[in-house]
Amino acid sequence: MTTDITALIIQETENLIRAKGTECPPVSADSRFLQDLPMDSLDLATLLVTLELILAKDPFRDGFKTFHSVEELSALYRAMAS
Amino acid sequence: MSCEPKKHVVVTGVSRGLGLAIVTSLLEAGYRVSGCSRERTEAIAALEANADFCWFACDVGNPDQVQQFIKAACEWAQIPLWGLINNAGIAREGILATFPNVDSDELLQVNLHGALYLAREALRIMLPQNRGGRIINISSIIGSRGYTGLAAYSASKAGLDGLTRALARENGRRGITVNSVAPGYLETEMSSTLSAKQRDQIINRTPLGRLGQAEDVTPLVQFLLSEEAGFITGQTLTVDGGITN
Repeated sequence: MTTDITALIIQETENLIRAKGTECPPVSADSRFLQDLPMDSLDLATLLVTLELILAKDPFRDGFKTFHSVEELSALYRAMAS
Repeated sequence: MSCEPKKHVVVTGVSRGLGLAIVTSLLEAGYRVSGCSRERTEAIAALEANADFCWFACDVGNPDQVQQFIKAACEWAQIPLWGLINNAGIAREGILATFPNVDSDELLQVNLHGALYLAREALRIMLPQNRGGRIINISSIIGSRGYTGLAAYSASKAGLDGLTRALARENGRRGITVNSVAPGYLETEMSSTLSAKQRDQIINRTPLGRLGQAEDVTPLVQFLLSEEAGFITGQTLTVDGGITN
């Protein structure tokens, strides 16, 4: 489950960056979205909407939770699954 | 101004008045239109003969209904969502000192919260589409000028203009424009409560010497929806016969 969600987030992040026509650096579980990757806040919002469509889960439904990296976001989805 | 290839636009508050006129003009221009209102009127039933129009029951002040409406509308349209026109609104008149809080709450819920819920759901479709888009909020000159007995309504429309400016900044990088259209006093059911004296006062103060018609506003809405309006965002555009001049 951990690997699945983390892998999905990495894949969708890469798709999103490439769709902008931007060169995509290697994305890993430790990558911080807004610090390490060529993403802005609107890209991050787009990623979250895309993940919600795929996973049918919204970890932010009851309020925003802070996260910075792929792994931290993955943990929020895992917490919902458990 | 025609729309080719066909584009999907969502319009709220379509049962009568300006909303109905907007839907009619968009269908004539070739758009595919999803419309919502709380009630299904005879005018809506007549529009449903057009295969490019679909009506949905929705109270825009209810976020769950808004979410279901946008989902159903996009499933029906089968083409990407291009535009949202936040037109739904209610008016209640009364001096604030004696105006029931419950009426203020309902008015703000529909006129302001409703527009915010709709914009949120529409943006959640538009952003992943990555094709740009248009959001048009139907405001009022009363939002900037005020009017005795319309404090809550005025506040709701001023709030709508603030929403326009913030969303324009937030989403401009994706080619999504957000503008307000602020009509003056229109000959609609909503203005039918004006007394003869109030109507005469308004007409006398209007350089063009009459109340507006819904059809005075629809061409601007169509223009703001068009590709040609792609560099206009965050603006409140007034259509009032010059009364606020």
